[in-house]
Amino acid sequence: MLELNQTLLAAASPLDHVYQWVYQRVDIGVGDSVFTPGGQITLFSNHVIMQIIAVLFLVLLIPRFARIRQSGDDVRDLTPRGFGNFIESICAYFRDTVARPVLGEHTDRFIPYIWTAFFYILFINLLGLLPLEPLTRGLVRGIFPGAHHGIGGSATGNIWVTGSLATCTLFMVVINGLRLGGMHYIAHFCPGPLWLAPLLVPVEIIGLIAKIFALTVRLFANMVAGHVLLAVLLSFIGLSYTAMGAGPATGIGIVVVLVSVAFNFLEIFVAFLQAFIFAFLTCLFIAQAVVIHHEHGDEHEEHASETAQA
Amino acid sequence: MNAQRLLTSAGTTAAACLLAASPVLASGEGASETTLFTGDLGNIIWTLATFIVVLVLLGKFAWGPILGALQKREDFIRDSLNQAKTDRQAAEATLKKYSDKLHAAREEASAIVDEGRRDAVVVKQKIEADAKAQAEALVERAKREIGIATDTAVKELYGLSAKIATDAASRIIRKELSPSDHERLVAESIAELGGIGGNGRSEN
Repeated sequence: MLELNQTLLAAASPLDHVYQWVYQRVDIGVGDSVFTPGGQITLFSNHVIMQIIAVLFLVLLIPRFARIRQSGDDVRDLTPRGFGNFIESICAYFRDTVARPVLGEHTDRFIPYIWTAFFYILFINLLGLLPLEPLTRGLVRGIFPGAHHGIGGSATGNIWVTGSLATCTLFMVVINGLRLGGMHYIAHFCPGPLWLAPLLVPVEIIGLIAKIFALTVRLFANMVAGHVLLAVLLSFIGLSYTAMGAGPATGIGIVVVLVSVAFNFLEIFVAFLQAFIFAFLTCLFIAQAVVIHHEHGDEHEEHASETAQA
Repeated sequence: MNAQRLLTSAGTTAAACLLAASPVLASGEGASETTLFTGDLGNIIWTLATFIVVLVLLGKFAWGPILGALQKREDFIRDSLNQAKTDRQAAEATLKKYSDKLHAAREEASAIVDEGRRDAVVVKQKIEADAKAQAEALVERAKREIGIATDTAVKELYGLSAKIATDAASRIIRKELSPSDHERLVAESIAELGGIGGNGRSEN
């Protein structure tokens, strides 16, 4: 009974499953700031380790299946099989359907970045669905004494992670906008007459930052929401046990588990969907910066469609 | 790369700290209150580092080959389609050529048959006309020959009759008739026969 109460208390907050639990901090000798609370930065946490696991999976799995097929037969070499087919069809979809219509001739220059963004986020999202936390708690405590939580959770449910990824996109947009668009890209910050520049330039810059901020928050919020929802659903079992006893709790438990299974399927879908949206919007933002429009009408239309999609 | 330098410095610091069990290492969860937004520069560095590692490694070992395969397949399909289009055009041209030839041959054949038929009709008519003409000529000749034969026969009959009559008459009346009577009788007989012969001929 005591043990059960402890479990219930431990899972008191449904947000426990989405928090970042820092295992080890390191003092880097700078002052206290938002980026360095108490002059320290995170060295290891559940999210950092999930990121590392995702990277290992990505680096070990994808090249295995993407290996060039060399059987000597032309047609056979061009036909993917097995899991490679899964990877390649996603890649081909992004290249032909998402990137090419907006990026045009620049497609093959940026497509590796877009593919990486998609698979990086996808793997982290999917790994976050695995209930690793209770299984790894002991192991983590063995390595980092004082740690209370095991490895688990979505690193994409951490706004610092999504913010960093979105910042990468921001750099890709600005740097490539300047490199490939040049003066046209700078001129794009003042779409109206020059005397309106003091008004328009800040608005355009805020717009750019808002896009990146939206990218950050969309992924973060979606990942957190799913996990919180599942945690809340499962907490009903404990709550009904304390409130009504074992009998009703069993009935509620069966329903809750069935619904949770359904929500897990939804979460798998969301994992793909959010990775896709991030990659898709990244692609769109880069395209807006590097593909030069001579007519402003086009640009406004694209802004409108993008807002609608967001 | 700024991020990489930061990562390197953080990594070396971390390694040094772990080895020396230095007091700068703070235990995790006690350090500050955990919230939904817990995080710091460490997360940024880790995220950038892992993302760049994935970008570089996959770029080299996965995206390169995949992009190559996609481009190769695209080219292969485009070439195949172009080839198929050229082949089809060539096939259509050949088909048209042969179908024209066939058409011409058929027309030629039908012209030959028509001509043959026309010739046959002409030949038929000619043969018929020839045959008719020949038949008419034969009939004419036959008629003529019959006419000649009849005349000859009549003449022979005159001669013969006159001779028989003369012989018979001379045998009967040789003794009784004077030479003058004889001559008169002969003259009368000839006259008579002449009348008969003339009648006989006109009857024919």
